[in-house]
Amino acid sequence: MRLPFVVILITYTIAMIGLILIPGQDLDGNVYHMSIFDAFYFVTYTATTIGFGEFPYPFTYHQKIWVSMSIYTSVLGWFYGIGALVTLFQDKLFLSEIAIASFQRSVKNIKEDFVIVLGYNETTSEIIKRMLAAKVRVVVIEKDQLRADYLRLEGYVPPVPILIQDAHNPKALEDAGIKSPSCKGVISLFKSEVLNLRITLASKLLNPHVQIVVKSTTDEETLNLLQAGANIVDNPFLIISYQLQMALKAPSILKLENWLYQSDTLESKTFSIPNEDIVICGYGRLGSYIYDMFLNNGILATVIEIDKAKVNSALYQGKENIIHGNADDQVYLDKANIQDAKLIIIATDDDTTNLSILSTVKKLNSNALIVARENDITDFSIFSHAKIDHLYLPEQILIHKTTNALSNPLSDKLIRCMVNKDEQWGQSLLANLMRSISVNPITFELNITEKDSYEIFKYLKKEDSYLTVGMLKGSRRDREQKNNIIPLLIQREEEEILLPEDDFQVLTKDKILFACDENAREDLESIANNAFEFNYIMTGKEKGLFFL
Amino acid sequence: MNLDKVIAGFFIIFAMTLNFGFWYGDALDMNMHSKYELFAAIVVNLIATVLKLGDKTQMGSVLIATSLVAVLQLIMAATIWTIYAEGDYIAPDHFGEIISLSSGALLANITSVILYIGDTLKSKR
Repeated sequence: MRLPFVVILITYTIAMIGLILIPGQDLDGNVYHMSIFDAFYFVTYTATTIGFGEFPYPFTYHQKIWVSMSIYTSVLGWFYGIGALVTLFQDKLFLSEIAIASFQRSVKNIKEDFVIVLGYNETTSEIIKRMLAAKVRVVVIEKDQLRADYLRLEGYVPPVPILIQDAHNPKALEDAGIKSPSCKGVISLFKSEVLNLRITLASKLLNPHVQIVVKSTTDEETLNLLQAGANIVDNPFLIISYQLQMALKAPSILKLENWLYQSDTLESKTFSIPNEDIVICGYGRLGSYIYDMFLNNGILATVIEIDKAKVNSALYQGKENIIHGNADDQVYLDKANIQDAKLIIIATDDDTTNLSILSTVKKLNSNALIVARENDITDFSIFSHAKIDHLYLPEQILIHKTTNALSNPLSDKLIRCMVNKDEQWGQSLLANLMRSISVNPITFELNITEKDSYEIFKYLKKEDSYLTVGMLKGSRRDREQKNNIIPLLIQREEEEILLPEDDFQVLTKDKILFACDENAREDLESIANNAFEFNYIMTGKEKGLFFL
Repeated sequence: MNLDKVIAGFFIIFAMTLNFGFWYGDALDMNMHSKYELFAAIVVNLIATVLKLGDKTQMGSVLIATSLVAVLQLIMAATIWTIYAEGDYIAPDHFGEIISLSSGALLANITSVILYIGDTLKSKR
C-alpha cells in the first residue's frame, strides 16, 4: 500500500521540478519562472484531469513538451494510486476485517448481560426473541452470509451483533466476548454431536464460568457433553418422553410445567394417556425413548419400524412387540392391531412420512388418541390443521427449555425437581396457585444480594436478624394483609428447598422463586430495595427521617 | 543488506538533512534559505511518512507521529511563504515565522532519526 503513494509523490515532484526550471514567457515576452506553488497548483489540476488550462501565462514550446510528458507520468501515477485504494476497499479480506472490528466494538459496548447464540435458524431466532424480551442481550455467530442477512433484516431491538465465522473457531468465540464478565451463556443447538462437543470444550477452556447450553439426542451424547463441562444439556426426545410419562401418571405436573415454560396457563388441557393398546410408528431416537418409558411404567407398546437395522438392534436388546415394516402400509398396521389401538404415536424424523402415516391411521381408526411429531418449525403448520390430539415439536421444546434455563434458572430447577413428584403433590400445588393467585400467575426471582435486594441484604448482614419467607408476603398497604404470592423454591448454595413454609428463615445469597401477580411483584421489589417500605414490613411503623 | 532498510534509512535521514540545510543560517537573511530546499524537504518528508506507514509496533507509531509533525510544520512554512511572498521578497517578520516553523520540524526530524537509529541498533538481523 505504500508504493502507490510514493509513486504519486515522485511523479508530482518530477513534474513540478521541470515546470519550475523551464523558463516561460509572460504576456510582454519577458522571461518568467513559475513559483513552486504555481507548479504545484498546475500539477494538481492536471494530474487529476481537471485541466484548468495553461497557467499563469500561455506556455512556450519548451514548457508544452515537458507538460505533455509529465501528464502521462503524473496522471498514470494518480490513477495507479486511486486504483490501489479502490481495490483495497473492494478486497473481501479487508472488508471482513473491518466487519470483525466493528463487531468487536459493538460487543464491547454491551454493558448488560448477554448470551452467545451459535447458528441462526428458525429455532434460534425464536430463542433470540425470547431472550431479548427477558432483557438479556444476544450476540450471534453464523457461518452463512445469507442467514446472517436474514438476521439483519429481522431488525431486532436492541440490536443483535452478528459475526460471520465458523462457530467452532475459538477466535470467533473470543471475538463474540466469551471472556467478558457480562457473558452469561453460550447456546449451541447444532445437529452435529461433534460440533456441540467441540464448542463445549472450547467455551469451557476460554471461560469456565460461562453457562453452556447444548442439544443432545442420545444418552451417550448427554453423558459426553456433561463430562466436557456443559451446564445444561437439552435432549428434546427425552423431554418429550418425560412429558408423556407425566401425562400418564401426573397430568397436573405437566400443567405446571407448561405454565413455567410460559407456553400455556394453569388451565391448559392435557390429555389422559390410556395404559394399554399403544402403537408407536417409528423406532428412532424419539420412538425408543417413548417405548422405554412405557416399559418402565409396565406398559408394553407395539412398534412399527421400517429400518431393518433398528428393528434388529431392538430385538437384540430383548425388546418385544417390534414389527418390521412400513407404518404407512395397512398390512403392517393391521398386524399391530391398529383398529383397537387407543393411543397412536407417530414419531419418525420425516414430516412427509408422518403426515402420510397420519392420514392412513385416521382412516383405519378414528377413535384413537393421536400424538404426532413435527420436525420443521415453519410459520404455517400443516400439522396444526390435521386435527391431531397432541403435537410435539422437538425444536419448540428446545426453545422453551433453553430460554427458561438461561433467563429463569430457578424455574428450570423447579421443573427438574417436580418431575419426581406424584400427582397428589401436583394437584394440591395447582389448586393452591389457582385459588390464591390466578390461572396464569407470573414468576419472580428474588436474589438476596446487595445488587438485587439491597435492604434485605443489609438487614440480614446484621447480628440476630430474623427474616422468614412469610414476612416477605406482607402488603405495602397493610402488613397484616398478605399479597397473592406463593414461594415455590429456595436455592441455597447447592441445596433446593421446594415449597418452603412461611416460617422458613431467609439467609443471604438465597435465591427465591415466587409465583405471584403483578401487584405482589411490585410490592416485593420495593420492599426489597426501599428502606421505608422494608422498615414498615418489619416493624409496622413508619421510619422517621431524622429520628431513628 | 536489506534494500528496504536502505531506502527507508535514506529517506528518513535525507528528510532531516534537507530540513537542517534549509533552517541553517541567519533567520532573517533570505539569501541563506532556499525555497527549493524547503520544497525538497517537504517532498522527502512526505515520502518518509509514507514509508513508515503500516508498522503497528510502538516504535512504528512514534516514528509516524514525528514525521506527521515535521510534514505539518513544513507545509505551514510553505503556505506562509506562498501567501506573503511579494515577488521574491518576504517581510522579515513573516520570514522569521517560516524559519521558526522549520526549526520545529527539524526537532521532529532529529527525534525521528534518533528513534530510527535506536530501532536499528536493537534489531538482531
